[in-house]
Amino acid sequence: MKLFNKINFGITTISAAVILMTGSCSKRLDIYPYQSIGSDVALLTESDVNATLIGCYDGIQSTSVYGGDLQLFNALTGNKDDINFTGTFAPLNDAYNAAMSSNNTYAASTWAGVYNAINRCNYVLSALDKVTSSPENRDRVEGEATFLRASMLFDLVKLYAKFYGDGDYASNPGVPIITTPTTEITEANYVSRNSVKEVYDFVIAELTKAQNLLPEDNSRYATKFTAAAMLSRVYMVLGNYTAAREAANFVIENSGKSLETDFEDLWFTEINGGGTTPEEYIFFVKITTQDGINDMNTFFGRTISAIPGTSGRSDCKIKDAHRAKYEAGDVRGAFFQLSGGNYYTKKHLDTYGDVLVIRLAEMYLTRAEANVRLGESVGATPKEDVNLIRERAGLDPLDVVDLPAVLKERYLEFAFEGQALSESKRLKQPVSGLAWNSPKLIWPIPQRETDVNKNLVQNEGY
Amino acid sequence: MRKLLLSLTAALLLFFTSFAQTVTVTGKVTDDNGNPIPSASVTVKGATSGVSTDAQGNFSISVAKGATLIISAIGYDDASVVANSTTVEVKLSIGTRNLSEVVVTGYGGTQIKKDVTGNIARVKGKDIEYMPTPTVDQALQGKAAGVFVNSMSGKLGQAVTVRVRGNSSISASSQPLFVVDGIPITSGDLSSYGGATNTLADINPNDIESIEILKDASAGAIFGSRAANGVVLITTKRGKAGKTNVSVNFQTGWSEATRRVDMLNSDQYAEMILEGALYNDTQDGIDPTDPDSWTTYVKESVLDYYSYGQWAQNPSKTYNWQDQFFQKGPYNQADVQFRGGNDRTRFYGSFQHLDQKGIIVGNSLIRTTGRLNLDQKINNWLDLGMSMSLSRTYNRRLPGDNAFSSPMQSAALMPMSPFIDPNTGLDAGTPPGDPGLPLYYNPMLSVKYAKFSQEIYRTLGNAYARAKIMKGLTFNSEFGLDYLSQNEEGYWQSQTVRNNSSATNGDGQNTGTFVTNFNLNNYLNYNKVFGKHNIDAVLGMQYQESSSKYNSVSGMEYPSNSYQKIASAADVYAGTSTQTDFRFLSYFLRANYTFNERYLLSASARIDQSSRFGKNSRTGTFPAVSAGWILTNEDFLSDTKFLSFLKLRASYGIVGNAEIGNFPQMGLFSGDAGYAGVSGQRPSQLANPDLQWETTKQMDFGIDFGFFNNRLTGEIDYYEKKTDGLLLNVNVPATSGFQTITKNVGKLSNKGWEFVLNSQNFVGQFKWSTNLNLAFNKGRVDNILGQVITGGVSGMNRVMEGEAVGVFFAPEYAGVDPQNGDALFYKNIKGTNGELDRTTTNNYNEAQRVVIGDPNPDAIWGFTNNFSYKGFDLSVFFNGVWGNQINIYGMGRYSSANMLYEDNNTADQLARWQKPGDITNVPQVRLYTINGSQASSRYMVKGDYARLRTLTLGYNFTPKIVKTLRMEKLRVYVSAYNLLTITQYPYWDPEVNADDFDSNIAKGNDFYTAPQPRTFLFGINVTF
Repeated sequence: MKLFNKINFGITTISAAVILMTGSCSKRLDIYPYQSIGSDVALLTESDVNATLIGCYDGIQSTSVYGGDLQLFNALTGNKDDINFTGTFAPLNDAYNAAMSSNNTYAASTWAGVYNAINRCNYVLSALDKVTSSPENRDRVEGEATFLRASMLFDLVKLYAKFYGDGDYASNPGVPIITTPTTEITEANYVSRNSVKEVYDFVIAELTKAQNLLPEDNSRYATKFTAAAMLSRVYMVLGNYTAAREAANFVIENSGKSLETDFEDLWFTEINGGGTTPEEYIFFVKITTQDGINDMNTFFGRTISAIPGTSGRSDCKIKDAHRAKYEAGDVRGAFFQLSGGNYYTKKHLDTYGDVLVIRLAEMYLTRAEANVRLGESVGATPKEDVNLIRERAGLDPLDVVDLPAVLKERYLEFAFEGQALSESKRLKQPVSGLAWNSPKLIWPIPQRETDVNKNLVQNEGY
Repeated sequence: MRKLLLSLTAALLLFFTSFAQTVTVTGKVTDDNGNPIPSASVTVKGATSGVSTDAQGNFSISVAKGATLIISAIGYDDASVVANSTTVEVKLSIGTRNLSEVVVTGYGGTQIKKDVTGNIARVKGKDIEYMPTPTVDQALQGKAAGVFVNSMSGKLGQAVTVRVRGNSSISASSQPLFVVDGIPITSGDLSSYGGATNTLADINPNDIESIEILKDASAGAIFGSRAANGVVLITTKRGKAGKTNVSVNFQTGWSEATRRVDMLNSDQYAEMILEGALYNDTQDGIDPTDPDSWTTYVKESVLDYYSYGQWAQNPSKTYNWQDQFFQKGPYNQADVQFRGGNDRTRFYGSFQHLDQKGIIVGNSLIRTTGRLNLDQKINNWLDLGMSMSLSRTYNRRLPGDNAFSSPMQSAALMPMSPFIDPNTGLDAGTPPGDPGLPLYYNPMLSVKYAKFSQEIYRTLGNAYARAKIMKGLTFNSEFGLDYLSQNEEGYWQSQTVRNNSSATNGDGQNTGTFVTNFNLNNYLNYNKVFGKHNIDAVLGMQYQESSSKYNSVSGMEYPSNSYQKIASAADVYAGTSTQTDFRFLSYFLRANYTFNERYLLSASARIDQSSRFGKNSRTGTFPAVSAGWILTNEDFLSDTKFLSFLKLRASYGIVGNAEIGNFPQMGLFSGDAGYAGVSGQRPSQLANPDLQWETTKQMDFGIDFGFFNNRLTGEIDYYEKKTDGLLLNVNVPATSGFQTITKNVGKLSNKGWEFVLNSQNFVGQFKWSTNLNLAFNKGRVDNILGQVITGGVSGMNRVMEGEAVGVFFAPEYAGVDPQNGDALFYKNIKGTNGELDRTTTNNYNEAQRVVIGDPNPDAIWGFTNNFSYKGFDLSVFFNGVWGNQINIYGMGRYSSANMLYEDNNTADQLARWQKPGDITNVPQVRLYTINGSQASSRYMVKGDYARLRTLTLGYNFTPKIVKTLRMEKLRVYVSAYNLLTITQYPYWDPEVNADDFDSNIAKGNDFYTAPQPRTFLFGINVTF
């Protein structure tokens, strides 16, 4: 009996101790994730800032940004007369038919993708004081983030707002300009749309600043010339041909870049080039087998058995009417792949091909167009510039180069590269039977955004 | 000690019976088959103590002559005998009147059902034994009131939706907590491919003794922050003292799809698509014979091209692609169980092998499990024991519903498109044939030339020590481990390149997932009867630590399709390893008090701390109370003849939901933002240091009743659950760079009624019993601070204030304009007077979205009838749901879309508008021009169904024959599962939710989703 009581006492003590001592377990509750770190310790050093800057490029590489969708929207709506779109992604079909609704998921993901990348840029720009290794590095970091942010805002305002020249751009709502990194959500995050003019003023100021800050050489990242090339596009939209020509001329004369000898070499960067980016590319998104998806390939591409490494949904079948627009002997007119009875552009067949945004040829044709419009020959005559492009395409030089000739060259040279809608709007040309400024050609502010932020005004017709 | 106790008991008995003559009664308690029942309790009616039977079922007790002895044992109906002679033989029947059942309440606690004051539903292992469902959650369907089970898809081993009393969460999990023999097991999806998988697939359902579902707060509060969605306690079988039984069961059969869908044949298809092309040509002003015309395109590039030119020759030839991918899948399962022991050692052991092929080509599941449960009495105060199960589950998986390689998607392929390429004799689309055929990737190529397998080895073990400190007080210490090791291997041969662009020269993937989940329970149980008072209490702690590690590597470029391991890949293009952990530290207390067998009181509480909660809110307390009153034990009711039992009960308590993800409270950067080989980081999550569990306050009122000597018993419950602090991924403007922030805001509620009725209609030689359960639940989101939360197909599922979670929200379809074939929608614009504008428009953007459906059923029910006569037994089990809608837009926008695309359409689209004056609901065909196939109520259908879930006919050979064969029992049976489904559902199966769209709020979507299997089985069961 006594022994039993002792045992009992022992067990009671042990069990009480076990139950109570496990209190020390509570320290074990302080654990942290493995793949992430606290935002309070993420941006303390220069290498942290550099890593975040790379994160900005990762942001623009998203399929919903320059990974393809910004270009794809332009091509689907702008090239309706050139493409039979037979895809089943309803939001893209709606874009093709200029019959979008405000819940278009692509419109929502591009909006969100752009601002996600802009927030990354803002984090970089908020931590420039950590970049202390050299003033040059600090300028480069600031220049890259500034450039990326401005470039995306420019592409966004072209899609989601009335185009320049459609009414008063000082009062037309554009897109919100965001310049501070988000650490918490406050009233200040419920932003309104800046006017189109405010956006353009901001974009020009920032791109100019970036051009000054950026170095001439910067691996695959933004350089002085990337910023200048983007500026030339901005000025073309605004009809400031002098400034556009200056920027284009600056790139041509100083960048050291040259046109590819063969037009075909501009493409199949992975399949034929082994991942080498063509010299002619000025602004592009790098795709590798490990990183990134080329969304132009996804929708324009097709698996061609004879060309290993090709893929795609075969959604964009090129119409005979489009192919008929090329002159005989034009290598660009033969740059289509016949498969299953339909033609596909060869520009986007490569699964891991780089996604192009701007290439040098555009600078020549921009300079040519601006010179024609201004009646000048700064840098070179329009004829020289246009014939340079024509001759590479295997065509005879033109004797006379007028505005229609330059525009036709632009259209054929850059077909399906993702500029069609913006080009038509810039030139005030109708788009698949709609007036250039039809509200149907303007993207909706995503419904998700107008639902969550009442300060955002929806576009007409949505 | 024991002697003292016995003499005390004797003394007490003597005291109560001092005026009566006492006799010593000895007896033997056996079951229907004559097997002794050990540990049965023998008490004198009106007294509170008694004796137990030994291993041979014998007992001896001194009582007043003429007293009534009540003999009861777990799982058996009570019996009573009058003590007139000195020896008695008592036979106990397997428990059918569930008032005498013992229910498991968690942490070593058990309670007799009639004394329970909370709401606990019990499903006996017997009731789900040998069902052809690979996972135990599927087997629960229709078995317990208020427990909604939806298998979502007929793919094997995939996740199952289980909701106890409605959906209590929006962003956190709404699945109940599964606890197996005291261990909260690893649950949730661990797959890297296709739909979510089901971690319960590793558990052999036939090892289960009972499943208790803790539904109300009183029952659940002891599980604190983890109980808001209900707790499912799974108790496995344990040994019994007595003769060792060996039971062998073998069943074999096959499964096939419950239903098929009627699609267009080739003539109908061509008629429709050419009609659409002609419309386009007319609109564009193009001559249909023009080479750029849509008509030419359709004839040449669609009909001829996709039929390898055969359409022009034989336009009527039809290929029904459903024949290609549905199959009759064989099913075989063998089970062996050993059960036995003596008064010191008891054991239960089992083996199972299951080999099942799915109803869809390429899907199979093989499971092998072994279990040993051991209980050892060391001495008179110490017991040790363990439960251990080992399993291997191999699942050859199918892609997600949204993948072109999902076999079900080939239903959309053109009917003129042959299965076999006539040029090569290989499956259409196989290189060197044209890979551009058929219209979409031919899933048969993935069935033949690709493989994705998941193989899980799992150890679920629990070792315990139980020490008796003094009479009624025991200390329990349990250490449990749930170790899950999963390997997934995928290989896509070069033939699949159209579907997988990385597979030009083969693409392989290999992933490993390792989840270590260990659990420590220490608790004291106290049990004391003094006089009319009965106290039963538990106090203890629990610590759980779970760590999930994951790694994956992918490689492409193989020398040939014969090399399928990544060792042969020339380009190892992706690899990752990740880890995530969570921990819980908890203290709990529960006390049950019974006075005079009439008044019942219970209180419990738990304190939870978790690594998942924010720094400012680390600790949560979850209390509950409940009370009951057994009226039939009161004098004023004790003489009522027809009313044998009546209890009123009520409970109220607070429980939580901590399934909020592992680090939702921290502000984070992620290092996954590299670019072209250079590392990078990005801001990935906004901080919320106040983040905590979701809180559910629940009250429950119930009546338990029994009539006619408890031949008719039942329960009626009414409950109200109010959840607040709902964890929401609150939408923030995307201009901030973030889409959401996780916050505890929002409120929702569920209220409902539950009815359970059990009746022994006939007893005697012909037995007929009926069980019915029926539950109504109404969920309502009360406040989400104006957040817009969407999910599912095209974001149609929505969380909205005043509505149930995940209602369908889209414009309302108004049919077709008889004049021009335009699809019409109701504008539904709210006027200044609050009324909706019911005029129609053909401009989809002009129509306002309204609530057009609700995926949550109003009612769920199960209805079982069991018959037996002589050796025959028949079980007929129906279950069903009603009041829910299903969104078929996922498939409908392609395949019930009046031929918008080149996809084959369902035959009902033939009713399309063709000429002015046509009255129909199907708009005019306009190829590639959307006319009515936007998200709308056109794609909302009724989800009601009633299903003959199981039908089993068995025969037990007579004891005489069985004895001759030297067996103890021999039973043969045939059973059919999902034999009959009564529904108006237009697609395959109304028990559906597309795996690729599934989330907590996205239910009731069909996207070419695999139907449920209809299974036929023949089985034989032998006990030695």
